[in-house]
Amino acid sequence: MEASLEPKSSLEQKYNFEIVRWFTVMAVVYLVLGAAVGVYIASELAWPFLNFDSPYISFGRLRPVHTNTVIFAFGGCTLMATAFYSVQRTCGVRLWSDKWARFTFWGWNAVILLAVLTLPFGLTQSKEYAELEWPIDILIAVVWLAFTINFIMTIAKRKTSHIYVSNWFFLGMMVMIVYLHVVNSLAIPVGLFKSYSIFSGVQDAMIQWWWGHNAVGFYLTAGFLGIMYYFVPKQAGRPVYSYRLSVIHFWSLMFGYVWLGAHHLQYTALPDWTGSLGAAVSIAMIIPSWGGAVNGMMTLSGAWDRLRTDYVLRFLIIALAFYAMSTFEGPVMALKTVNALSHYTDWTIGHVHSGALGWVAGISIGAIYHLMTRLYHTEMFSVRLINFHFWTATIGTVIYIVAMWVSGIMQGLMWRAYDEYGTLAYTFVESVDAMHPYYAMRAIGGMIFLLGAVVMLFNVLMTVRKSVVSGSLAKARAVPAAA
Amino acid sequence: MADNNPFPGENNTGHIWDENLRELKNPPPRWWMIGLWASILWVAGYTILYPSWPVGQEPTQGILGWSQIKEYQSGLEKVAAKRAEFEDQIKGMTVNEIIADPGLTQYTLASAKVLFGDNCSACHGSGGQGNPGYPVLADDDWLYGGTTGKIAETIKGGRQGAMTAHQSILEPDELDTLANWVVQMSETLGKGGSEEGWALFRTKGCTACHGQAANGILAEMPNGDVVTVGAANLTDGIWRFEPGGFESAKHTIMYGVNQPGVAETRNAVMPAFGSTDTGKLSEEDIKKLVVYVHELGGGK
Repeated sequence: MEASLEPKSSLEQKYNFEIVRWFTVMAVVYLVLGAAVGVYIASELAWPFLNFDSPYISFGRLRPVHTNTVIFAFGGCTLMATAFYSVQRTCGVRLWSDKWARFTFWGWNAVILLAVLTLPFGLTQSKEYAELEWPIDILIAVVWLAFTINFIMTIAKRKTSHIYVSNWFFLGMMVMIVYLHVVNSLAIPVGLFKSYSIFSGVQDAMIQWWWGHNAVGFYLTAGFLGIMYYFVPKQAGRPVYSYRLSVIHFWSLMFGYVWLGAHHLQYTALPDWTGSLGAAVSIAMIIPSWGGAVNGMMTLSGAWDRLRTDYVLRFLIIALAFYAMSTFEGPVMALKTVNALSHYTDWTIGHVHSGALGWVAGISIGAIYHLMTRLYHTEMFSVRLINFHFWTATIGTVIYIVAMWVSGIMQGLMWRAYDEYGTLAYTFVESVDAMHPYYAMRAIGGMIFLLGAVVMLFNVLMTVRKSVVSGSLAKARAVPAAA
Repeated sequence: MADNNPFPGENNTGHIWDENLRELKNPPPRWWMIGLWASILWVAGYTILYPSWPVGQEPTQGILGWSQIKEYQSGLEKVAAKRAEFEDQIKGMTVNEIIADPGLTQYTLASAKVLFGDNCSACHGSGGQGNPGYPVLADDDWLYGGTTGKIAETIKGGRQGAMTAHQSILEPDELDTLANWVVQMSETLGKGGSEEGWALFRTKGCTACHGQAANGILAEMPNGDVVTVGAANLTDGIWRFEPGGFESAKHTIMYGVNQPGVAETRNAVMPAFGSTDTGKLSEEDIKKLVVYVHELGGGK
């Protein structure tokens, strides 16, 4: 594949790579920032003096800063970089509008800036993963629509006869996120920074988790499967294992995911029937999810030895392994019996991070390393540092999720433990006390992951510098477009 | 397509994107297809067993007859059955009768441990050792009395301390004298307070709450109970408001306790746990807590 770097530099004229470069570099910057805030709040839980008695940096205020930065800043920039890149290349045409793409870039970054400027001050809708107040919600909708329309119009003017599978997944995500975001954000403003949801009580909770779980299902899963379907076969130079499998698992995911939100509300005021449906369909999503993991992994069949030498491919494949694991774990946790133990415990946090660090970050990091060489027309500054990043990311993630499994299951068991007299065996604070070593372990796992992210940022910036200093980017830009 | 397929001999669909992206015509793995059909059957089966489909007036109830409220109640019943042997005895007994029975006391202490941990320890410490500003429960120094009856009264109704702010009642030198006297009383366990201090204590109204002997006791009842308004015993070397010492004592004298409109006033409030409004703890729970607190070490 290395041979494709040089002669293809005329792609610079054919495609809009500039916007992809911006999103790619910002994605790495946000990965470092988001992980750093995550490590800080994890440390606050382990060593509470870090709150310094300041409300602005307390866990409650910084936690949404962390989630918004990693999901919407890092995840969003990665999705926009990879979607804009792969849609052009798989359609054989330039983006429908460079201007709309630039608007998407500046608009999305403005959303992130506004999040950082409001959340620490307690300006929040108090809806998980939808904390931002109504004016920012409107901006998100506008920018996301600009992204979506640009993507659809690029597909509309494609030169290829069929629409490549990665684009189905990106499209599924875009359409559903518009729908989910708009409905969940419906609110009555009572001031510039204050609004009330138009839903109330358990209906509001259900709408919130219909959004919340589909932020996971469509944004963090479908979107990143789109990344997987472009970057795994590209990096491996191998065909996608099964076309039919991709069709079936695509439609079963699209159909099934929207039912799952109810499993976040087991044993609450939510009616029994809603919770059962959520649990039933959750279990039924294991196989469709594994369809993506299998299709990605089997793409490597016959080329497994590549994993020994290709560090980028390693990231992509370990991400699929984490994906397969956490899409099994999640449905099991959705069952009422398991949920009765796992809900409100750290097990949930561990599960989220095996998806977020293992799957989402893993596939993104792999895709970004792949992009860097194509976008800057040079090899990476250091391949050894990619290998270092791979091991820190993997080890950090494993430490994190193991710590949370242990502490989560311990919490669940302590909360429900009875002694021989039929009375509760532990006070709540005893369970908090028992968490301490695992909170410290989690913070350390996060630090190791963060170290890898910092090394990645360094490697990426040095690659940009190398490309500029050696003139390879300028040379690529100067090549006249092929007729 | 087969003629111009750039990947001859490969079982692909014939569609090529971005030079080398293509898909094979492999069927999905057999186990996967079986799993997919099994998933559909699972949903059908599960939704027959459990309440699931919102059709008609009432959603389907499921043939297992399960509901989360039933599951909750059966859980409660199981626990209640386990506890019944002791709970049935305790129900008809007074706190003092429970304390007289070692077996029941042991049960009650085990049972109240979590009640204390979840309701009391945030202020009074996990072992009743107190916190700055919150009284120790494990010693024999009681603001409102340490008999089982007084402890029950405290838990049920809560407590609210009160002390007048003396900043504009006393002269600055009087404030200093009195604060010094409080320190002397504390250091000598009530034996060495200055004459000037005692004079101020007796003439400025302090005895009304702290008692003639400055030990916080207004009168003793024949049954051992004491009459107090919750004012501190100034003769036992224990500081009600940390950190203690001259500045601390002076602060309390100047700004009082729970004085509305005085920003620097000391706070001394314990919520009512037996209140009918909040309904936080049942009569039985409170009974258990009284035993627990009484047995922490200082009960009278």
